[in-house]
Amino acid sequence: MLVFLVLPLAIFVIFVVSPFVQALYYSMTDWTGFSPNMNFVGLTNFVNLFQDTTFLKALRNNALLAVVVPFVTIVLALLIAIVVTVGGPSRGTIRGVRGAGFYRVISFFPYCVPAIVIGLIWAQVYDPAAGLLNGFLTAIGLDGFKNFAWLGVVATAMPASMWVIIWSFVGFYTVLFVAAIKGVPAELLEAARIDGAGRFRTAISVTIPMIRDNVQTAYIYLGIAALDAFVYMQALNPGGGPNNTTLTMSQELFNVAFRKGQFGYATAMGVVLALVTLLFAAIVFTVNRLTGGGDDSRRSSRVAPAAAPAPAAAAPTAAAAPIQKGGI
Amino acid sequence: MSEEPGRLNRRTFVRGALATAVFLPLAGTLASCAAPSGGGGGSTSGKKSDKNPFGLSDTASVEAVIFNGGYGYDYVTYAAKQVKKQFSKVDIKVSPSTQIAQQLQPRFVGGNPPDLIDNSGANNIGFNTIADQLETLDDVFEADNYEGTKIADTLYPAVKDPGTFSGKFVALNYVMTVYGMWYSASLYEENGWTPPKTWDEALDLGAKAKAAGKYLFVWGKEAATYYLTMALDSAIKEGGPQVRIDLENLKPKAWSAPEIQSVFKALETAVKSGYFVPGGAGTQFTAAQAKWSNDQQAILYPSGGWIENEMKKATKDGFKMTGAPTPTVTSSSKLPYEALRSAAGEPFIVPKQGKSPAGGKEILRAMLSKDAATNFSKTRLAPTIVKGLVPDDGFGSTALVSQTKMLDAAGDNVFNYQFLDFYGMNQDQLVVWNSFLSGQTDAAGLTKGMQDISDKVAASSVPKLKVNS
Repeated sequence: MLVFLVLPLAIFVIFVVSPFVQALYYSMTDWTGFSPNMNFVGLTNFVNLFQDTTFLKALRNNALLAVVVPFVTIVLALLIAIVVTVGGPSRGTIRGVRGAGFYRVISFFPYCVPAIVIGLIWAQVYDPAAGLLNGFLTAIGLDGFKNFAWLGVVATAMPASMWVIIWSFVGFYTVLFVAAIKGVPAELLEAARIDGAGRFRTAISVTIPMIRDNVQTAYIYLGIAALDAFVYMQALNPGGGPNNTTLTMSQELFNVAFRKGQFGYATAMGVVLALVTLLFAAIVFTVNRLTGGGDDSRRSSRVAPAAAPAPAAAAPTAAAAPIQKGGI
Repeated sequence: MSEEPGRLNRRTFVRGALATAVFLPLAGTLASCAAPSGGGGGSTSGKKSDKNPFGLSDTASVEAVIFNGGYGYDYVTYAAKQVKKQFSKVDIKVSPSTQIAQQLQPRFVGGNPPDLIDNSGANNIGFNTIADQLETLDDVFEADNYEGTKIADTLYPAVKDPGTFSGKFVALNYVMTVYGMWYSASLYEENGWTPPKTWDEALDLGAKAKAAGKYLFVWGKEAATYYLTMALDSAIKEGGPQVRIDLENLKPKAWSAPEIQSVFKALETAVKSGYFVPGGAGTQFTAAQAKWSNDQQAILYPSGGWIENEMKKATKDGFKMTGAPTPTVTSSSKLPYEALRSAAGEPFIVPKQGKSPAGGKEILRAMLSKDAATNFSKTRLAPTIVKGLVPDDGFGSTALVSQTKMLDAAGDNVFNYQFLDFYGMNQDQLVVWNSFLSGQTDAAGLTKGMQDISDKVAASSVPKLKVNS
């Protein structure tokens, strides 16, 4: 009782719950962060927060990130995952395209590089004069890109930054989806093929519905990563980008806390960030449920009859074989 | 998703009640220990004397955390060795940091900060948050240095000012920083150019540079506000101290002063005429600076005296880096062309709550003595606030020689302003300046942006700076 219940509970309370409660309290003070003294100011910080144009801009930027980054990443990752697992020749067993293993490994590479390194590398790639990207574009004759500041122009700063985040995540989610697709019984895919479904139709009507839960999880993880995005943005545009177009809430929080010495106000930003994150997760769950996924009983009634027999049929044969051997 | 969310049954109710019962009181105690009631300190002190002006205990252990930036941190280690010569049993630990605020924030809250801090760099602690937790340092200047001369008598004038906040001298700024325009004397000689004295001359020089396939200016995204400093210096020289006083006191419409507007207009013309190397808003600042010091794509750069040391490894051979004062708007400006912004920089602070504030002050005393101060100038090619330690050849540095010359020519016409650092405005201002220098906004947009930042601080609850002269 003591070890199994009280200890974990105590750890949880001390390291998870109490910081939350403290944060709530600090967000209602005028704490500067560098002295033990603070005054309780009620909800003033929150009122100011929603009149603070810089913070609201950061909030909008984060919202944009949370919409675009997960969507594009998942579409790309699904595409690659499907191609390397079931997108192969339409004759013979279901398999990926030729060299699938190679592509799978390559696509995972970016994930092995720490986020901060990715940010710094891409900051160099985007360098107006010495960067790889402009070097390439001018080399193929697009002279308009000479000295073009990808991270310094309002129209391109955000898309360029988003691309870096997407680039770094695609590999991991590809692997996640590959694993999920491997769990889809081959019989289902073969049945679809026999029924005359092409690769695209199979992907849309069979593969993706079967790995729906994985997609939802990926969406939430990616959304949370996009709502933070601190490391990437700090490496690419520590100043928040042109006209603050790439400023995120976490960056603004950092500035307000450590550079302006307003920890109370910064903590209020943290509380809002946490609420936005929860809201995002709630939206993803709701959307998934409304579109017919996520509910165990309904899904099992719809998919199980087709899926269940396959493993059930396969298992006895596999299990029976050694017994028979042993019997002989 | 095996559990139905949102439904309160007996089990979740009991669980919730139990959790609440446990964590409420516990959280209360934790909150109070994370923001403790202060205290600490408790320093044992030795007897004060002329040789030991701060009463440093024989067996004290002293800790110094030094910003490890352009000047490194080993010059403090060097000074610590000088202290050891006087107090052999004292234990001194000097450690570097580039994240002063992040690293020391919990120690300030916990009441156990180090005894000496070089509060510098991009991540410094805003003085409005810690000023009242710092020792006043007047007694350091009253003490004798290791040669037996009163320290106050060995220093440049007005070195207390940048570290004095609301009348209390709490930050000892160690390095004499001269702000100006920097250029390559050899390149100018080759082309028959001279550093501009007014903005008209500057724009002429821009046209000449363009004809030679070069640019007048270059900027990097983290250092766009160097042009703000330049514009302010120029406007203050044109309009006299009132321009500066209004800005520092965050007066409404202070940024619409005619002198500031003239400079902004001149800069707008420079931007529109293509006198800036394009793409600065996307270029890392030292890479941008190398386009001036190494590639010589740009021929003029506004900065402080640290620029030589900062670009040491990326400066063309025979560059002959030289400083000149900022241009004025007209030739009949209120302050002469030779006037310049100069201030002591690298603020060293001694927290009251440290274990041995006397030890922190003793290291400062060593740093202000001849041995350590000469060592700094010689190895870092920058003057300290201690006068007369830089020889005529400037240890072989043209930039260091020109700094001394500029200071001598300026005489009493030296000014400084604190409000940018005091309120930590740089981050917000960078955004506005990057837009302006890349041509996305004009002088009117720049003025509005700067005024908005000023108004926002004026309306906030942070403690304000009061500037009367």
